[in-house]
Amino acid sequence: MGQVLLLGLIQAGIYALFAVGIVFVYRATRVLTFAGGEIGTASLYVAALVSTRAGLPWGVGALAAVTSAVLLGAAFEFLLVRRAVDADPVVLSILTVGLALTLLSVETLAFGSSPQGLAPPFRGGVELAGIVLSPTMIASLVVAAALGLGLQSALRRTDFGLGILAAAEDPAAVRLVGVPLARIRLVVWSASAGPAAVAALLVEPTVGFVTPGYASTLYLGGLVAAVLGGLTSLSGAVIGAVVLGLTESVAQRLFGDAGIPNLNYVVDLMLLLLALVGRNALPGLVAWIYPPPPAAPTSTPVAEEIPA
Amino acid sequence: MSAAPMLEIIDVTAGFGAVTVLHGVSMVVPAGSIAGVFGLNGAGKSVTMKTIGGVVPVRSGRVLLDGEDVTTLSPEQRVARGMGHVPQGRQVFPGLSVEDNLRLGAYTLRRRRRARYAASLERTYSQFPVLRERRHQLAGTMSGGQQASLSVARALINEPRLILVDEPSAGLSPVAQLELRAVLEVVRQTGVTMVLVEQNVAFGLSLVDTAHLLQTGRVVHSAPVASLDNDTLATHLGIGRVLAGATGSALLARKRGTS
Repeated sequence: MGQVLLLGLIQAGIYALFAVGIVFVYRATRVLTFAGGEIGTASLYVAALVSTRAGLPWGVGALAAVTSAVLLGAAFEFLLVRRAVDADPVVLSILTVGLALTLLSVETLAFGSSPQGLAPPFRGGVELAGIVLSPTMIASLVVAAALGLGLQSALRRTDFGLGILAAAEDPAAVRLVGVPLARIRLVVWSASAGPAAVAALLVEPTVGFVTPGYASTLYLGGLVAAVLGGLTSLSGAVIGAVVLGLTESVAQRLFGDAGIPNLNYVVDLMLLLLALVGRNALPGLVAWIYPPPPAAPTSTPVAEEIPA
Repeated sequence: MSAAPMLEIIDVTAGFGAVTVLHGVSMVVPAGSIAGVFGLNGAGKSVTMKTIGGVVPVRSGRVLLDGEDVTTLSPEQRVARGMGHVPQGRQVFPGLSVEDNLRLGAYTLRRRRRARYAASLERTYSQFPVLRERRHQLAGTMSGGQQASLSVARALINEPRLILVDEPSAGLSPVAQLELRAVLEVVRQTGVTMVLVEQNVAFGLSLVDTAHLLQTGRVVHSAPVASLDNDTLATHLGIGRVLAGATGSALLARKRGTS
């Protein structure tokens, strides 16, 4: 049982890291981004170049990875998002798919499809319930929660963060109160790439290698976790990841031998269905059990009150 | 007190794509006065406002704010130089609290002089007590009239020199329009220069000092409200007898006061 729990939490840490980035972009732009996984992967190749090939310490490689991800996000905003300012969020969502596919091609062209290695930042680990926990596994959930809390408070407490939230609601109105919209967009798309790189860096030691698109399936889990958490709540994203990780782990234990192909996808889909149905059915169910009191008659302004 | 008018628009041409909406609009708004822009649908009232605010770029001509040429500045830069907006449809941020809306309204004030914000917020709350009561409420859950108060307060809190009020009465119930009138009276008392666009001519005329009548992108008549008559309004706006009737009587009372 402890093992199932632990495996679930390890998986949850990975999902949470991606989910936090997804929710941040969604809150700031109303765009569901599909590029985070590939941005993370691309930044890992940078880390591999710096650390494995050039032989510099892991920390330098990690810094290079995060920096390159942020620059990539900025370039994406500057070259593409900026030209689609008035476009529907769905259009921008599709642009992020385009970015992911482009990065995938570039990775394959530049490095081939054979796996690249990246030495883990720390050696050793703790053994718990028969599983060796590496430091990055433990760090994943902690870092995800810290990132979520940090981003959350930056959005709520700083004027610029509040400007980001307001820009997501009404970009035109935000300019009319003097908030620099162009700068907000640039900062949002650059900053949102940061968590993707952090996620990839912390996930890599668990997976053990980098190949083009290696983070895609994990990123899918991040998307599911973000939706489970309500898509607008950074803490919800972490909770959604824990729910998803544990459910997958339990399902793996119960049905792992039943020969169901892609069991995790089945679990993901069922959780999503449950969440969506639950969200819509719950208010009705509550109203059925506890009928609301009859509505008070609403007063409408009578003709006498209306000025000519 | 500077000698320049607070706002001067000189021979402005503007439009969207291949369509030119404004054909050489000129307007002078002295400091401390309230100017009204009136016209039929499509006359270019809102485009005039958006041109002053910098949302629609000027093709030719100039926009001067207190003597300073702001023609090429972005909307954000103009706000930082003292323009305030009460946009069409009020455009409060529905998912943010009343107080967060006000904090955003003071964005450039807080960047300039952060210490001033507390006093500015306090002043705004005493001007609009309903906003203090509801400061933690989400703006989107308030009534239309309360949102109008918030939209006006959000502009005033930044201590603007010029406030642009675009179609404030549109979409408001008659009761909410009464609230709006009280709110705009508050603005008038602060002495800030104001440009008001209104489709409800009677409502607008009762608030402004000078009326600029717009027709197909040109100013066809500019005059103090006191010198307007029904014939002029009928000729340029195609409406009759706004100066009589209930709202007109408030206007007449003011005309008596000024003449």
